[in-house]
Amino acid sequence: MKTNLVRNYLRALERDLWLRGLSDPEILAEVESHLLETVEQGLRQGLDGAAAEQRAVERFGSARLVANSFENERMDGMQKVLIVIAVLIGLFLTYMDASPHWDDTGLIVGGLLLGAALVTLLGQRRPWLAALAVGVWIPLRYIFLSQDFSMLLVLLFPLAGAYIGWAAHLVVRKTFHPA
Amino acid sequence: MNNEALKGHLDLLLLAVLVDGPAHGYALIEALRQRSGGTFDLPEGTVYPALHRLERQGLLGSTWSEDAARRKRVYQLTIAGREALAARRDEWKKFSGAIDVTVGI
Repeated sequence: MKTNLVRNYLRALERDLWLRGLSDPEILAEVESHLLETVEQGLRQGLDGAAAEQRAVERFGSARLVANSFENERMDGMQKVLIVIAVLIGLFLTYMDASPHWDDTGLIVGGLLLGAALVTLLGQRRPWLAALAVGVWIPLRYIFLSQDFSMLLVLLFPLAGAYIGWAAHLVVRKTFHPA
Repeated sequence: MNNEALKGHLDLLLLAVLVDGPAHGYALIEALRQRSGGTFDLPEGTVYPALHRLERQGLLGSTWSEDAARRKRVYQLTIAGREALAARRDEWKKFSGAIDVTVGI
């Protein structure tokens, strides 16, 4: 017996897991089994169908909360490696920008945008974090040297890149691994 | 009980429940609730990520049981899980003993 509320919950969870790159039919099968067992227990205790479903879903926690829990438990090695790569890209671009013989702002901007895009395209699940890891170093240098806080606007480029890369990652995943 | 405080001890609690024998997630959560007199009442869905992590760490194993009305994933302690449970019980004894002495219970 899989009713509307449980079905809708499973759809929401499937979507939230997919958005985090955590699609896994076994998770959904396990959650479905749990919810249906809770519904059956509710029915045995005298609840009507709707109330039993409602209770099952409420006790399980929101789909977003559960997906976040899975994501937090899987902050795996790959995610950390991607952040280290992002930091290295950011430090390299800062070094180039600081070099007295370097005078190509366009390449630095392009590097910030493409670097952040690359990191999220490869699977970093937190675009904002990737953008900061790539882009925070140049503004920090200017703030340290000349208290020039306007350079924080530079962060817009890695932010744009990170979200473009993330969107591309989702498109690629949807194409080759539909939810 | 504050759920955040409980999360820090969830691994120990899950391993301790499973020492009695294999169980699927629903039964595990019910056992946690009953043993604690309803004090441990986490959102049920947040227990599964911890179970999966413990399995990735090699402390639990799991199999899908097909003999019931529906498929259920059944978890059991591995040898490493039993060793981890013993170590975490010792840590807990020292920790709770120190807390008791400190707060004067």
